[in-house]
This record gives sequence, structure tokens and C-alpha cells, in this order.
Amino acid sequence: MKKIILLFLVLSLYSCEDVVDVDLKESAPRLVIEASLLWNADRKQNAQVIKLTTTAPFFQDEVPPAIGASVWIITETGREFIFEEVEDGIFRYENFPLLPNVEHQLLITYNNELYTATEKLVPVPQLDFVEQEIGGFSGDEYEFKVYYRDPADMRNYYLFRYINERVSLQIYDDEFTDGNRTFAFFNDEDARSGDIVMFEIQGITRGFYDYMFILRSQSGSSNGGPFRTQPSIVRGNIVNTTNPENFPFGYFRMSTINHLVYEVE
Amino acid sequence: MKKIFAICFLSVVFQLRAQETFVVNGVIKDADNNETLAGVNILFPELQRGTVSNDYGFYSIKIPKGEHVMEISFLGYQTSRVKIDAKENINMDFSLSTATQDLEEVVITEDIERLNISRPEMSVNKLEITTIQKLPVVFGEVDIIKSLLLLPGVSNAGEASSGFNVRGGAADQNLILLDEATIYNASHLFGLFSVFNPDAIKNLKLYKGGIPANYGGRVSSVLDIYQKDGNSRKFEANGGIGLISSRLLAQGPIQKEKSSFLVGGRSSYAHLFLKLTDNENVAYFYDLNTKLTFRLDAKNTILFSGYFGRDVFKLSESFNNTYGNSVFNLRWNHILKENIFSNLSLIYSDYYYGLTLDFVGFNWNSGIKNLNFKYDLDHYVNKDISLNYGLQSTWYEFNPGEIEPNSPASGIIASELTKKYAFESAAYISLEHSFSDKFSAEYGLRYSSFLRFGQEELNLYPAEGPVTYNSRFGIYEKTEPTGTKNLSKNKIERSFGNLEPRIALAYVLADNQSVKMSYNRMTQYLHLITNTSSPTPLDVWAPSGRYIDPQSLDQVAAGYYRTFSGEKYSLEIEGFYKTLENRLDYIDGANLIANDAIEQVILPGEARAYGAELLLKKNKGDFTGWFAYTLSRSEQRTPGRTSEEPGINNSQWYATAYDKTHDLSVTGSYQLSQKWDFNASFIYQTGLPTTYPTAQYKFEELTIPVYSARNSNRLPDYHRLDLSATYTPQKERRSTYSSSWNFGIYNVYARKNAVSISFRENQDTRRNEAIRLSLFGIVPSVTYNFKF
Repeated sequence: MKKIILLFLVLSLYSCEDVVDVDLKESAPRLVIEASLLWNADRKQNAQVIKLTTTAPFFQDEVPPAIGASVWIITETGREFIFEEVEDGIFRYENFPLLPNVEHQLLITYNNELYTATEKLVPVPQLDFVEQEIGGFSGDEYEFKVYYRDPADMRNYYLFRYINERVSLQIYDDEFTDGNRTFAFFNDEDARSGDIVMFEIQGITRGFYDYMFILRSQSGSSNGGPFRTQPSIVRGNIVNTTNPENFPFGYFRMSTINHLVYEVE
Repeated sequence: MKKIFAICFLSVVFQLRAQETFVVNGVIKDADNNETLAGVNILFPELQRGTVSNDYGFYSIKIPKGEHVMEISFLGYQTSRVKIDAKENINMDFSLSTATQDLEEVVITEDIERLNISRPEMSVNKLEITTIQKLPVVFGEVDIIKSLLLLPGVSNAGEASSGFNVRGGAADQNLILLDEATIYNASHLFGLFSVFNPDAIKNLKLYKGGIPANYGGRVSSVLDIYQKDGNSRKFEANGGIGLISSRLLAQGPIQKEKSSFLVGGRSSYAHLFLKLTDNENVAYFYDLNTKLTFRLDAKNTILFSGYFGRDVFKLSESFNNTYGNSVFNLRWNHILKENIFSNLSLIYSDYYYGLTLDFVGFNWNSGIKNLNFKYDLDHYVNKDISLNYGLQSTWYEFNPGEIEPNSPASGIIASELTKKYAFESAAYISLEHSFSDKFSAEYGLRYSSFLRFGQEELNLYPAEGPVTYNSRFGIYEKTEPTGTKNLSKNKIERSFGNLEPRIALAYVLADNQSVKMSYNRMTQYLHLITNTSSPTPLDVWAPSGRYIDPQSLDQVAAGYYRTFSGEKYSLEIEGFYKTLENRLDYIDGANLIANDAIEQVILPGEARAYGAELLLKKNKGDFTGWFAYTLSRSEQRTPGRTSEEPGINNSQWYATAYDKTHDLSVTGSYQLSQKWDFNASFIYQTGLPTTYPTAQYKFEELTIPVYSARNSNRLPDYHRLDLSATYTPQKERRSTYSSSWNFGIYNVYARKNAVSISFRENQDTRRNEAIRLSLFGIVPSVTYNFKF
């Protein structure tokens, strides 16, 4: 991130970006599983959605849904939650109860292959307050710091979302902030005074943090130039138990979340 | 191998019983400013013997009793001839005058070219600083490293990358020496410019192969740069005003003919790249070169030199970044005997990186420091043998990073990544040995050792080591340490020792032709921790130790050399093959910033490179220049540690980020008149390796490209034409002030060369696009240089 900023800074005046045509080879489609189960920390239950799609050629406008799958979750205590396919590839379960410290196993069958993953719920702290400043590279960007207190003596990982017209994501760990009050940082050049924006904090596992770290380095504009890192195939925590070679993309995670609604001054 | 050495030493002994001989020695200097000249040919034509002045201008040669003609010649200087009568040892210094236009056609005897052709030195590129100063460059900013890229075997990872790559080696594998001190980061502004102020540089040499035994510590190449000593005849100042930076350099005698000073500074203009914004942003660099030289007597010279450079970026309150090198060096040249020259160096060098990020709330600094002691001797044993031996040791302190909160509101806890300490030392001996008129060799042996000292909290791991393969998810993961070990920094944690043989052979086919061969083994104990295509200033150096083994390289090279029409044209053709062990590669998603346990994200791999180089030069006349072409391949692979593991990139070989199949450059310089000269260079290179996606998917509102095998695609080919012209107005009769204008055009036909092609979703249309990033359209420049 830092490198990208610097490179941008140095070269902005002399560089030039053009959209070009590139012929790409195409790889065989794979299943993509977005199983991010989120519970508001102050609620006992939440509706949960799991999305199944497949990969598509890079320049295709839409990614197709994966049709004909079935999705369910079994807990180690023996409870079973069968998801209902409400649209093509979109599976829903109303009122999924919040069950801390219980292992949940996700099971998906698709094209006669069984995909599984196991996770537990990750807790999350409150968001306390927001500080805003105007500055940044252009001098008129809004910069927000949203504060929270990190729980002491344990490794914590967070995913933050900032929601205005656009949604931006940040991930943080507490290696250098353990047990302290600290903040997540967002900037928004399109924000205006009076906008109602929302900050969201999600507790995540180290595995998901690492996964998002790689994903983020490969999406967006940070994947080119002399300071790029090698792109790679990013593997998540879901395993194709029938045919391990045909591994899926995506991740199964269970997070508690908190929100803070803020009016831009 | 041992046998060969034994035979060679025996022959040394036999030749000691020769006829009555005397030594002629001295120092060769430039008549204008008393700068010592390295690489000057000293010849006795009728004796068929000669030598070359060393890096400090010293020469020594044994001749039989009697009258002989001695000839001193150096490209660009008038050849000087003297008759000497050897009745005793003779000490004789020479001052050479620069060749003026009309004197350039001095008759050159056959012997001179034979000396260049017959010496076993190979794979070496020398560029005259005056040549470099004329080459067209972006923004008119004269740049040593960018000029080296025009030579065969030297390339980089794209237009905006830092560092350079020699024969398919990585940028951290070049030993860059400024007055014998190691420079850890040779780039300003992330590689747009290099840290060397061309005005302060006397000469430079790049060793790409056949590296002599006195160099070590890096596996790929040696760039040996010497600063000027300072004019000990008269005071002079010169400088320049350019688009990017201004320079000023002053030099002169402290005590005439005996001691001199040199001080030079260069600074870019602040706000340079940021004039479009109106807040308090600054981005600039500066550097300072100093040198003091004291010729105490005919036998002793003391040289003190220093370099200090910094890059500074500041973005309002939120961002502040400073980095750079500092170097101090004290040297003592001492002539022990008429045929033994010694140099003792005490060197301090460091690299500092500092960063304040308000949006994270911390101050950060990291760096590397070293203290270096070197003692080198040149021993001119007899007419056929000269010896070069010495000792070198370096003490290192590595600071991988310190972090502290930048304000009370910050949640950052002050912490320090563990400092690391090491001691590297080497002893070497090297012989330059001419067995006959036709056959000569340079062979030597270097023994290097590296002691890694104890540190706080060294992680200990279970049997599988610091990296675990998770076979369920098919990924590499960090291993949780089982504990830590504290060991005093006076105790040795791990030690390494390596023998590094070096050998180069030359065989003269005819007076103007020779073939040469070389082999060298090199060991590198430091690793630059970087997983980007080109290094960045915040990358840290990691020493070998418990979990990291040193890099080890073997290179063989062979070549054919020929000159035509006197020395007017020269041709060099070389082929090389090299293999490297323990090249670090990084597991997917490795975060290297502020990582106190690098061993958890690296796997050792291997690398190899091979290729052919051609260099055709025209050295003399109104038109000079060269044609350089390299055909090469550079690749690496990191296999799994067991058959179950996939390794990196499925254990397949993949092209390095700087692999270029074809690399061609043509450089020409034409002196039209005393007032005008014109320069042009054209470059054509195969596009750099890159990785294109083969599919996409959506996850958490992000569009994720699915990538294929590493570096299996290529960017479009790169080519560019640059032109420049220098106008030197006639000097006023009595004035000492002279000046020149340099006009340049970079990328004349404004080709949009791709630095990268990246794949992303357009934020507005939500459609995926391939974006070509190109730098530098057509860039005109003008620089004013002056001297008085």
C-alpha cells in the first residue's frame, strides 16, 4: 500500500494510463463460494446468505451463478441448518441463531462433488467514535479515523467496511496495537458535509485475514508496475473432499459485527 | 585444482632466479589536475612486456639492466615515451595530457592493443565519465546506472524500477562500491535516478564475470566506482543547472601538488513532482560528496572520502519519508617496497530508512550499518607474475525496524524488531600470471566466513521448520514457534565458511585477437528481503543465520576479443552460464513489512541464467559509439521440500521479473565541430515477463482475477530513441570561465512503452479492463553546465 502511494506520487505527473486490448487465455470454470455469515453483536439471530457462483472469462460482464447445488450447516452439537435456494446460486437461512464457541461445518454439494469447511464465530469490539480531517494528497479529501478498543493479550484480526456511495474495505491486525485504543483509517474524496456514512467492524480469523491480504493485493490497481508482488492462485478454507484438485475459490467465515452511523461534518 | 596451484607457485620460485633486474615504479597522473589514473598501459615495446596502473594509479614493473624505451598510453590521452637507463631501481611519476582533437591520430603501436587483448581480465565494462555525460537521458539528468544499461548483459526491471540486473542476476546481488565502501541502495526517487553525482566520479568498472578474488559478498556483479581525488594544481569549480537538479562541485589544492580537497553537492528542487497540488507537499533528494587527499611523500598517501545522500518525501501532515546512504572512508596508500603497493581502508557505511504515517499512527525506522576494515596488497613479483592478496572484515548491525506511536492518540505500542549482528571476513590471494607471450591467467582463491551472532528472542520451531505446508488447503503457512532462545550478541549463533575459487585464462590467437575463459564462485551472506519486481527503499537486508543459508553462485564465461584498424574498433563476444543456490522465494501473501520472523514466509529456491553478449565499439574519430546485443534467459524455481508439496509456482521454472530475451542498444556520438556534438541512443528490448489472468470471480464485492503460472506472459516489446546535443560556446581568450548547453529529447517518437498491464474493474462502468501504464512520453530537457 505504502509503495503504491509513493510510486503514484512520484510518477503521477509523467505517467499515463490507457485501456488496451489483451488476448487472454481462459481457464476452466471453478466453483466460487462466498459464505460470510455475519451476526450483529447485539442480536441473538440473523438471516444468513451464501452465494455460489463460478469463475468466468475475465472480460465477461457477469459471473454466472452456480446452479443445482445444495447447502447446509451442521454444528458439532448436532444442529442442522438447511439453506434454501431463493434465487439462482443464492442460498438463505432466516433467523440463524448466534452460537459462540461452537464449531460449524459448511457442506455444499455441487456437480456431485462435496465441498466442506469448518469455522467458529469470531467476537468483535464496539466502535466508539469517529474523528474526521480534511487533507490527503489532493488536500480536500475527507479522512476518517474510527476508534475502537482492542482486547488485550490475544491476537485479533478485523475487517472494516466504510459504506457511503461506495464501499471500501480495510483489514487490520493488532500486532502493534494489542490492548490499546486504536483506529481504522478511511479516506473518501467524494464525501460531502451532511452525508450519512456507516462504519462496520467485523471480527475475523487469522486465516481469513491472510486470505484477504492476498486478495486485496491482486485486485484493483495494485497489481502492476515495478513494485508489484507476484500474483498467485489464492486458496481459501473450503475443500473439495470428492476431488481435491478441483478446489473452489472463496471462504467460509463466521463473524460478529458492530456498526457506527456517522454524519459527515 | 590443488595441483595447478602447486605448479604455479613452483614456477614463481623458478623465475625468481632471473638475470639482474631493476624495478621501475611510480604513479600516473592527469597533467591538468593531478588526478591519479587507473588502467594506464605501461609498456617496454622492445622487451615485449608491460603492466597496467592499479586503482590508485600506481605501477611497478621489473626490467633488465640497460637502456630501454618506456611508453605510457591511455585512451583519450597523449602517449608519452621516455628513454630510461636502468642501473638501479627507478621511481618515476608521469603526467599525461589529454589528447586534443588534432593529436588524436597518434600512431599506436601494435603492442598496446596486444596488452588489452592479452590480459586475462574479461566480462568487464568500463565507461568513461565523459562518455556518460554526453549520453541522452531522461530530464537531462546524467546517470551512471542508466548509462550502464546500454551495455550488454546489463538491464533492469523496467523504466521506473530501481537498481540494475547483471546477466540475469537480481538487483540485490550487485556489489556497489563507492571509494571501496558498500552502497546499499543506489537509487533516488525509487530508481528514477541513481545516487552518484557524475561530477564527483573519476572512473568506474563493472565486473559481470571473471570476478577477481579481491571482491566478494555479492554473487552477480561488482560495480566499482572511484571518486575524484581533487585537483591539487589549481582551484576549480564546476556545476550545472538542470530540470530536476542543480549541481556544484569545488576542488583545489590545500598545499599545492601535495594535498587537495573536493566537495560537491547536488540537490533536486523541492515540490518537483507535486506542483499540481497546493498543500505543503515536498519530494526531493540531495547528496554530498567530499574527499581530502594528502600525498605525504612518494610512499604514503592518505585519502579521506565521504558521501551522504537523502531522499525526502512529505505529504502535508500525514506522510513523511526519509532515506539514504552515508559513507565515510579513510584510506592509507603505502608503498611497502618498490614492487609492493598496499592500501589500508577503514570504512563506515550505513543505510537509513525512516517513515511517519499519520493514518496508521506510527513512526518507523530501519537500516543497516557496517564497519569495514580492508588491507590489500599488490605485489609485482617479476615480469610474468603479479600478486594481489589481502584481508577484509566487516561488522554488521541490522535494524529491521523500530516502531513508535507518533502521537498520544495513536494506539501503536512502541516496539522494536530484534536487531541482528554479524561479522563477515575474507582472505584472498590472486595471481596474474603470464605463462608465455600468448597465454596468461589470473587465478585466485578467496575464503570467506560469516559469523552470525546471538540475538534476543530467536524463534524456535518444531521439526517441520518455520514454514508449514497445509495439505488440506494446499497452501504454505507460518509455523507457530515452540519457544524462543536468547543468545548474547557476543556468542556465535551460526557460522559459515566458503572457498571461492576464481580463474580467468587468456590465449592470444594473433596480435589483435584473443580468446578468454573464466570461472568464478561467489558467496553472498546477505539477502535483500523483497517480493516485488524491483526493490523498494523500505526493503530490509537479512543476514544468513539459523534459518537462512547463504546464496552461492557458479559462473562460467568464455569470449572472443578482437580489435580492428589499430584500436579504432573493438569487438567482444561472450557467452555465460550461471547457477545460483539458495535464492529466497516468498510464499503467497507473505507480508514483509515489519515482519520479525521472515523465516516463516520464505522458501529457498534456485536460479539460473545463460546468454550471449556482443559488443562492437568504435573508439576513435569524430564518430564514436557502440552496438550492444544480449540474448539471454534468467529464471528461478522453488521446488517443494517433499514430494507432497507443490513448492512455488508448482515447482516449475519461471522467468525472473527482469528476464529479457533480446536486449539491443545502439549508441552514437558525433563531434561536428569544436562547438557542437550530437549523441543518440536507440534501445530495443523484449517485453518484461508478467502474469495475465485467465478468469475472474467476485468475492465480498471485490473483482478477483484468477492468475495463471507466474510470468508466463510478456508485456509488449520496449523500444525508444533518445537524442541529445551539446553546444560549447568558444571560450573568451582570457577568461577561465567555460560553459556548455546540453539539449536532450527522451523517447523521441513518444512511444507509450508499457511499464505494466494491470487488470481491474472500472469503478464507474463496473466492467473489467486491462490498463497499460506507461511513463514518460516525449521528454525534452535542457541543462546548463559551467566550469571556472
